[in-house]
Amino acid sequence: MATLDVDRPMSAEEKKVIFASSLGTVFEWYDFYLYGSLAAIIAKQFFSGLDEGSAFIFALLAFAAGFIVRPFGAIFFGRLGDMIGRKYTFLVTILIMGLSTFIVGILPNYASIGVAAPVILICLRLLQGLALGGEYGGAATYVAEHAPHGKRGAYTSWIQTTATLGLFLSLMVILGTRTAIGEAAFAEWGWRVPFIVSIALLAVSVYIRLSMNESPAFQKMKAEGKTSKAPLTESFGQWKNLKIVILALVGLTAGQAVVWYSGQFYALFFLTQALKVDGATANILVAVSLLIGTPFFIVFGSLSDKIGRKPIIMLGCLLAVLTYFPVFEALTKAANPDLYAAQQKNKVVVTADLAECSFQFNPTGTVKFTSSCDIAKQVLASSSVSYENAIGAAGAPATIKIGETEIASYTSKGLPADEAKAKAADFKKAVADALKDAGYPAKADPAKVDQVKITIILTYLVILVTMVYGPIAAMLVEMFPTRIRYTSMSLPYHIGNGWFGGLLPTTAFAIVAQTGNMYNGLWYPIIIAGMTFVIGMLFVKETKDVDIYAHD
Amino acid sequence: MLKIFVGFVLFAALAMFVILKGGSSLDMSGEKHGDEAVHAPAEAASVAASDASAAK
Repeated sequence: MATLDVDRPMSAEEKKVIFASSLGTVFEWYDFYLYGSLAAIIAKQFFSGLDEGSAFIFALLAFAAGFIVRPFGAIFFGRLGDMIGRKYTFLVTILIMGLSTFIVGILPNYASIGVAAPVILICLRLLQGLALGGEYGGAATYVAEHAPHGKRGAYTSWIQTTATLGLFLSLMVILGTRTAIGEAAFAEWGWRVPFIVSIALLAVSVYIRLSMNESPAFQKMKAEGKTSKAPLTESFGQWKNLKIVILALVGLTAGQAVVWYSGQFYALFFLTQALKVDGATANILVAVSLLIGTPFFIVFGSLSDKIGRKPIIMLGCLLAVLTYFPVFEALTKAANPDLYAAQQKNKVVVTADLAECSFQFNPTGTVKFTSSCDIAKQVLASSSVSYENAIGAAGAPATIKIGETEIASYTSKGLPADEAKAKAADFKKAVADALKDAGYPAKADPAKVDQVKITIILTYLVILVTMVYGPIAAMLVEMFPTRIRYTSMSLPYHIGNGWFGGLLPTTAFAIVAQTGNMYNGLWYPIIIAGMTFVIGMLFVKETKDVDIYAHD
Repeated sequence: MLKIFVGFVLFAALAMFVILKGGSSLDMSGEKHGDEAVHAPAEAASVAASDASAAK
């Protein structure tokens, strides 16, 4: 149970609690990055034999596994955690996650067992998604309920550092395996090793978690017969608590999630896709900034015990709102000054019938945009060209005007695949040639990439991440009473991070393509972080001094 | 705390070694969803994938 002696050092038992809980979230990240790094190989091994219709369904299921099921996992395992206990629930979630990851490593591919292979893979991904939904809330609750009052921010912030650990661990295992067995063997069978290795992480995790005690707060509540019989009804069926869940979502986790995604992923995407910095350089610069920034999770978690969670999280959101545009523009100047100069110098205009132009929001990746307007905007947006929109004659195909050169776009609807491919290639080449003549670089010039400045900018973005993410676990835990804590805090966390955060890349691209300005994708995180700042400032109460056992 | 700091520095050094060695063949952009999980774009493919398909 919580004690008041905040000045004493962390006990061995508390260190074990943090370590055991963090291992689960390392798993989460390890797995998250494995599926990113090995996506091409996994697609080839499991999905390459599917016809177009089946591939469409599997794409939707893969999307569901990544986004939709996690909040359901939060509800399912949160309820279990509030009814039978934290320890056994997050023992189950880590077992499901670890075993699913391991089974992917030994799962026969499409060539061996046909369509059963992608079906089983997707089932495993769905299981992982469910388990992930229950893992974070369990870890945060378990650590917070072991932490002394006045140190919950510091203790739970260790969990927040595991994203970096999981990323680098996955890269180490992947690269180690590739180096040891060679590229060809890795593509053939070696990709399985990182998944199989996860069994070792699982064994350590389960061994340690089995040796841990149940959270003292939950033990006490259970002994007194005060545990919730219906955590879902209590959490979401009573306005008194539901309003706090909603506030936790819109006033905290939504903003935290978009700031987190912007710093952790969008910056890398922007560097490589928009600014055309080569992948190796971008990876190194992002890795350096992540490593410099990671200790700040602990700094801001600990600081939140002294000055409060709310000021730090809200300041992180506010700084994101105020500085994203100038910071990303500075990133362009530092990474690809030629692109910046070309954007300032040349006017590009897309003239199109407005009826032909869609808002290209495509989170599942399954919608094909085939109109001449959409194709023209896609090509320009992916070339990082800022353009103006002009209204064209009804029914006329869209055109792109670059300087004095005008290029007519085309409609791919109804075209045979070969013809569509050939037209796409011709159109892209015509646009690329005109852009080149106008001074747009195809790649960032390595000699002009200011690595120091980029690292400083990326580190700033990571520090914003640590401001919003470092204290969030403690704050969520402190918003809810013990009897429904696991359920109530897990749902806003996963809706915030899964839905608001996870939809950032596709929403940002749609906005860029629609408006013709490569910075306009930033409006999405800015608006969400701004909403969180306003709602959080007005309605979310500071929690650092809350006695989390007051209502037990 | 000193032990954790030293451990982190060693970990960071090892991580940077891996990133430097891995170059552009490493994908740090996180999990892929939807269509990109089923039809991974060619540029996201690791060198390993392209090598293997070339070998077949």
